[in-house]
Amino acid sequence: MWKLFTADLKMLSRNRQSLFWVLFFPLMFTFIFGLFFGRNTNVGTIAVINKSDTQIAAGLPDVLEKSDVFKIQKEDDLNVAKDEIKRSKISAAIYIPEGFGNPSPASPKQIEIIYDPGSQVYSSLSGVVGQYLTSVNYQIQNSKPIFTSTLKPVTDRKLTYFDFVLAGVLGLAIMNSSIIGIGVNLSKYREDKILKRITTTPVKSWKFIMAEVLSRLVINLIQISIILLVGKFLFDAHIYGSILIIILVALVGAFLFQSVGFIVASFSRTADAAQGMAQAIAIPMMFLAGVFFPIDSLPKWLYLIVQYLPLAPILRIIRGVMLEGLSPFFEPKNVIIVLFWIVLTLAVSIWKFRLSDE
Amino acid sequence: MEKVIKVKNLIKKYDKLIAVNNISFDVFKGEIFGLLGENGAGKTTTLEMIEGLRRPTAGKIEVLGCDIIEHRDAVKERIGVQLQSSAYYQFLTLTEILDLFGSFYSKQLSADKLLSMVDLKDKSNSFIGSLSGGQRQRFSIVASLVNDPEVVFLDEPTTGLDPLARRNLWDLITEIKNQGKTVILTTHYMEEAEILCDRVAIMNNGKILVMGDTHKLIDQAKYPYTVSFIKEGMPKSQIQKLEKLSLVENLFGKNNHFIVRIAKKENSNSVKKIIESLNPETVTQGRASLEDLFIELTGSKIEE
Repeated sequence: MWKLFTADLKMLSRNRQSLFWVLFFPLMFTFIFGLFFGRNTNVGTIAVINKSDTQIAAGLPDVLEKSDVFKIQKEDDLNVAKDEIKRSKISAAIYIPEGFGNPSPASPKQIEIIYDPGSQVYSSLSGVVGQYLTSVNYQIQNSKPIFTSTLKPVTDRKLTYFDFVLAGVLGLAIMNSSIIGIGVNLSKYREDKILKRITTTPVKSWKFIMAEVLSRLVINLIQISIILLVGKFLFDAHIYGSILIIILVALVGAFLFQSVGFIVASFSRTADAAQGMAQAIAIPMMFLAGVFFPIDSLPKWLYLIVQYLPLAPILRIIRGVMLEGLSPFFEPKNVIIVLFWIVLTLAVSIWKFRLSDE
Repeated sequence: MEKVIKVKNLIKKYDKLIAVNNISFDVFKGEIFGLLGENGAGKTTTLEMIEGLRRPTAGKIEVLGCDIIEHRDAVKERIGVQLQSSAYYQFLTLTEILDLFGSFYSKQLSADKLLSMVDLKDKSNSFIGSLSGGQRQRFSIVASLVNDPEVVFLDEPTTGLDPLARRNLWDLITEIKNQGKTVILTTHYMEEAEILCDRVAIMNNGKILVMGDTHKLIDQAKYPYTVSFIKEGMPKSQIQKLEKLSLVENLFGKNNHFIVRIAKKENSNSVKKIIESLNPETVTQGRASLEDLFIELTGSKIEE
């Protein structure tokens, strides 16, 4: 079996198409989301056209810059800024008219926020600007607000959307490489009569299958480690739980999806058919099981269904461990759903998958 | 002679289709035995039942003294199989494939030795995709020898190859036989069977029509002797005249090339003299071929 295992590893490392699905495809997502939502990222660039030389006017760009939410670009001409908004080069502009901040009654009392209605940036921008102006108003009137509110995050841990997506990309990576990898590869072997050729030898089927499973788990291990390393060190992902447990959970998930891959290979006669079938399973799961968005934002009836998809509980466990430092058993329901799918898919693949034609 | 394979009353049914219909035959040690027939005649199904890849519906198969159903793994240790149009791992080198397949057996020949046998040593670190059709087929045959088997099964080993590559494979198969191994092959090339096989069984619709020593079988043909000749622009009237002669039992020809098939050897010389009187460009006396026998038995010509 050792020879089969090492041969499988060699083949996987030499197969560029398989490497794409195993490594480059999930890394591509990691980089894209990392660049958008990872380290040193902000929600958009704001042009500030400041025509006033007062202290109040000068304070606003400083506050915006310090918020770490926006990137500030100083501009002289409002029309240039408007053009840039139209061309989506920047998200919004703040126009501070001449004399703004001056106590004289004749001086302007309003600043303008010009934004692209298609951009989500204005709500955070108007919040920050409003907060600054309120504090300035209180300061001038020498009074304090009576009713206030404070923001208290449920956890002290700093979490970003990238952290959420990184866990999703891990799940996506193990799902794709296992379902497509096993399903398509074994169907190709069947089509090329390699499986049949194996059955002409005395080697036991279980040894062949075990070598296939173990070699792919090794590749999954490398895949998971690279994604976590890139996420952590290139894009400052926050990982609060044990990396070892995250990897173990992901490998259990990979095993589940390998069983799905064996089912795909059992029911498809050609590699093309297997590719179609594997994608028909993986693509809906990619969007409905919570890889990129929390599934509780889906309509309730849909959420009630998709929470039981095999990938959904795996992602919940990975996120619980990774983002909150919880035990994988923090919600036993998730473990039960995963075990249910493992037993079911394993039973079907043992029942249906054969190396031989009869 | 020692029987290495005994097949008795073998039947294979797929629902209502009878792929192999109650056939029996033996294969002797050290011979090349050919199963011949058209596509769908039941050759491959028969071969795969003997190899232990398919379960017979009925009948008994013994390979090297072992029942194939009861001792399948033990038999697999001692046989080598080359499947019809089977591929090998795309991303392993030839040496790695032979090493891998060799590791499945308790006895293993070295990859170097095997590759040298088929002149592929210089390709030992190449992938299978870089080989020509002939090289691939040579590799496929040599891969069936990794365990130094006593019996080698070759299913349509030369199908799809050019004439030169086919002749190279004939040499290889003869070499395998010369090593003392028993070879069972299926083919639909009658010329190939005639040259390679010591004995053949001609199959049609799942049944064996005739079986025996290749050259003795040809003698059993209705017209075992031939006189063939070439004559440019032979007039129709002359052909018809020739056909009416009592000695000319079966005239077959097209364009300028004609063959007269003859039942009795003593008539062959007389027919030759008649043909010579027509002033042909060439006249050749000969024997019928396996293909002639096949056409006679099945009423069809083998399609490639």
